[in-house]
Amino acid sequence: MTRFFKLIAGCVALATSLSGKAAIAQNFPFDVPNMLEQAAAAGLNHTYDGPWEFFVGGGVASFDCNGDRMPDLFLAGGSNPAQLFINRSALAGELKFKKAPIGLSERDSSRVLGAYPVDIDSDSHMDLVVLRLGENIILKGEGNCQFTKANRTFAFDGGNAWSTGFAATWEKAATYPTLAIGNYVDRSAPGSPWGTCEANVLHRPVADGKLDYSQPYKLKPGYCSLSMLFTDWNKSGNPSLRITNDRQYYRGGQEQLWRIPAAGTPRLFSRSQGWKPLRIWGMGIAEADLNQDGYPEYALTSMGDTMLQTLEPDAEGERPTYRDAAYEKQMTAHRPYTGTDLKPSTGWHTQFADFNNDTRLDLYIAKGNVEAMPDFAAYDPDNLLMGDDDQKFHEQGDKAGINLDRRGRGAAIADLNADGMLDMVVVNRKGPASLFRNQGAKTDWGHRPMGNWLAIELNNGKQNISGVGAKITIKTGNVTQSRMVQIGGGHASGQAGFIHVGLGVAERAKIRVQWPNGDWSHEYRVFANNFVQIPRGKPNALYWYPQPSSP
Amino acid sequence: MTTKRLIAIAAMAALITGTGSAASDKVEWAEITAELGKVKQAPSGHLSFQRLKKLLDIGEALFVAKFTTEDGAGRPAATQAIDPTKVRHQPTEPFARLSGPDSLACSSCHNDPVPGGAGGFVTNVFVSEGFTNANFDTSDPQFSNERGTNHLFGAGLVELLAREMSADLAATRSSALRLARQKARPVEVTLESKGVSFGVLTALPDGLVDLSGIDGVDTDLVIRPFSQKGVMTSLRQFTVNAMNHHHGMQATERFGSRWTGENDFDEDGHSNEMTPGDISALVAWQATLPAPGIQTPASDAWKQAARSGADLFNDWTCNSCHRQTLPLDSLVFSDPGPYDAAGTLDDKQVEVTAEYDLKMLEWAQKLPTDEQGRVLVPLFGDLKRHKITDRQIAALGNELLSQRFVGRDVFMTTELWGIGSTAPYGHRNNFTTLNSVILAHGGAARDSRDLYEAAPEEKRLALIAYLRTLVINK
Repeated sequence: MTRFFKLIAGCVALATSLSGKAAIAQNFPFDVPNMLEQAAAAGLNHTYDGPWEFFVGGGVASFDCNGDRMPDLFLAGGSNPAQLFINRSALAGELKFKKAPIGLSERDSSRVLGAYPVDIDSDSHMDLVVLRLGENIILKGEGNCQFTKANRTFAFDGGNAWSTGFAATWEKAATYPTLAIGNYVDRSAPGSPWGTCEANVLHRPVADGKLDYSQPYKLKPGYCSLSMLFTDWNKSGNPSLRITNDRQYYRGGQEQLWRIPAAGTPRLFSRSQGWKPLRIWGMGIAEADLNQDGYPEYALTSMGDTMLQTLEPDAEGERPTYRDAAYEKQMTAHRPYTGTDLKPSTGWHTQFADFNNDTRLDLYIAKGNVEAMPDFAAYDPDNLLMGDDDQKFHEQGDKAGINLDRRGRGAAIADLNADGMLDMVVVNRKGPASLFRNQGAKTDWGHRPMGNWLAIELNNGKQNISGVGAKITIKTGNVTQSRMVQIGGGHASGQAGFIHVGLGVAERAKIRVQWPNGDWSHEYRVFANNFVQIPRGKPNALYWYPQPSSP
Repeated sequence: MTTKRLIAIAAMAALITGTGSAASDKVEWAEITAELGKVKQAPSGHLSFQRLKKLLDIGEALFVAKFTTEDGAGRPAATQAIDPTKVRHQPTEPFARLSGPDSLACSSCHNDPVPGGAGGFVTNVFVSEGFTNANFDTSDPQFSNERGTNHLFGAGLVELLAREMSADLAATRSSALRLARQKARPVEVTLESKGVSFGVLTALPDGLVDLSGIDGVDTDLVIRPFSQKGVMTSLRQFTVNAMNHHHGMQATERFGSRWTGENDFDEDGHSNEMTPGDISALVAWQATLPAPGIQTPASDAWKQAARSGADLFNDWTCNSCHRQTLPLDSLVFSDPGPYDAAGTLDDKQVEVTAEYDLKMLEWAQKLPTDEQGRVLVPLFGDLKRHKITDRQIAALGNELLSQRFVGRDVFMTTELWGIGSTAPYGHRNNFTTLNSVILAHGGAARDSRDLYEAAPEEKRLALIAYLRTLVINK
């Protein structure tokens, strides 16, 4: 009888292996990256901590501060000091970081909630906008990972708020960027914290060509924002400011989309203009054009369901009317996918990225209880929702090895050892930061690389060098992918550097760039598995090669 | 277990899987290719002559096999594209001359003078990307490039040469970058390997590389030696491409569920049609095909003319591109190789590659060597692409589509070994004589061609006499 059952089982296994797509989709046949946590071994020792004000925040900025094009890391510490770590990783090998001084006073390096890199003065040295409980700080990059506090130089009023969100854009052909700061609860207002959200602030240069932010503009009302992003939601070439807000503290608030006319007065999109009120515990924003229709989708983290906002088909870019598509895409990620805790999840940083280089975007979500909220999951592992060929997502966080028992907050996803596979750093509240090295797909004998890839850097010329606001399209066969060069979103975490694209089995790709001013480039032809630079106005792409590790 | 129960189980299996009984597969006259799947696992490690011989027997059987729909031939739901691509409209016929599938066997075309050889005009293939307009039904050159079938003799040596040259170019790039970083200034270097120049590159101190000065090679500096255009990296890549294009036999390593989510991407009812082991057997057979040789003519007159022709070949600088030999350091062929990208197995995708030393083969032992012990591969080529047309001489510029980033009038130098056995000539096979194809050389070959044209007939005939001694030994 045992043999009989074995036979039946064999038949069923055979049927499963042959019965096509439906069965395969359940098993997720595509590569799953094996993410090895190695923060301690890599020398990245860091904890984000602090009282109530630091229940939120906990960001990380990933950017190159010493000109070697390898991502260095700046981590917010809350009540602990923020720390800067220089990338010393071996090429395609183990991750390694070395702590370096930031050059900030003890006061300025504490109470940091997040940070975003942006080269404000276009001097090729990345600057850093540091979000704090108290005065926000612009650190001007001086090269070789040296910084100077530039609030006075740029006439930037850092304020005294509880800042949790940031985004930057170059409006039209502006020489210098417009900076948006997202603020949370106004603790000094009567009745705080309930219904006392601080206004957000728009810092525009006072005149074109003048690096002077002395006339900030308050974006009222503020609804306790936790993330913001300049986004060209309607393909107008004129980005609007999308803000996700925390319903925990606002009264009468909702999600927001600000129209930011070039040199004009910002205006909120209203219900009569098609904006549908949405009230969530908004924590983070990630943007991607999942269906390649030119209109981006937005993943919004919250408590409970993650949302996926997609433009209503009949809105046609005229009206910002969105519907939620998270359920149909299988990406609600509303409760822990492992363990016995079935209470709702709490999502923070979120980011689209192609972890297995198969051309299909995946979605990472940092998860973790706010502090000790009894109605929400205590063990709440981070999500790795991997995209399939039907534009649906499949949870693979446990298989990838990122399901640690930590309270995730901010994160950055970048290729930290230049091996063509995306690694990840996660800032955890009251716990050590996680540093995951993407080892590739696990096999019986070790790890193997996954799909082909490209890493793309733009050179937009003398101003806005890295091309913030540009759209990159990458064509392989019949597959077209797009990436936006943006500064903002996530949860208190920003990054700058190479834009990573998975190419699957394609060994070459064609790249076109819509530069920030709307001009399209010609087609650049490049071979897979390379770091390439697209120089504006030049006929050919340049390739970049990382420095080999010292023997 | 009773017979009744076994039948019930078989029926259940059939019901579950939706497939019929496999009994017809068991009989010796079954319309299947028995050698498919015989190599259970892709070979790995050092292969002895005996192990290699077994692999070659299977490889040869697969090369000459006439694949059937029972094997998985045909691709009703997939195009010929190198990246897995679904058709928009399913074809009504199993064969299509232009978009393929267009043959049952590799040897249907590669057969002149023996399997592995070239093919006449009738075996021309049509090269199009197959992403859009996949099912075109016109030979209008705006939809595809028509190409003759190349022979594969000596292909293993060609791939080994290409690998060594790619490594040389990468090493030059690395040293230029190292120097640029050390000196903090741009460093321009000449790219050269085995005496063949590939232009210059400029390494910048920040690790960027300006490739605008390279010549005849792709921007990643990988020599892709196969196809008339020089756009295929390896025999393995060529095999995976061709099996899908020409036969609708899809290799798991590119069309399998790992990349497509499906085990039967072409939806013909057969999953995992070609395993990595099948592909390895085909690669091994092609890689070990003997190098063509130089035949000693029977008559003294031909001998004398050929001797004279050999001198003229150099005098007229035909050898500037058609180099008689290129030196090869090692005859050890590894499969999968080092330069393929995902979608074709490479050495990083397997635990251990298979390695076989071509020196084990009698023909390889007869290859000449230089004073450094390097094998002199008599390919009459340089593994470099050149522009082959100009304003006056443009017959070889008859393609309207560029292929994989390579311009319409640029082609890989044809290796002339075996040319005496593989008429007609030219990338479209539309020159019946060597004389006519020589006269069609423009562009980079224009000076040599003009010298040939201006020479007296006796000298021109001498060159032909020489070229006709370059044969594939039957």
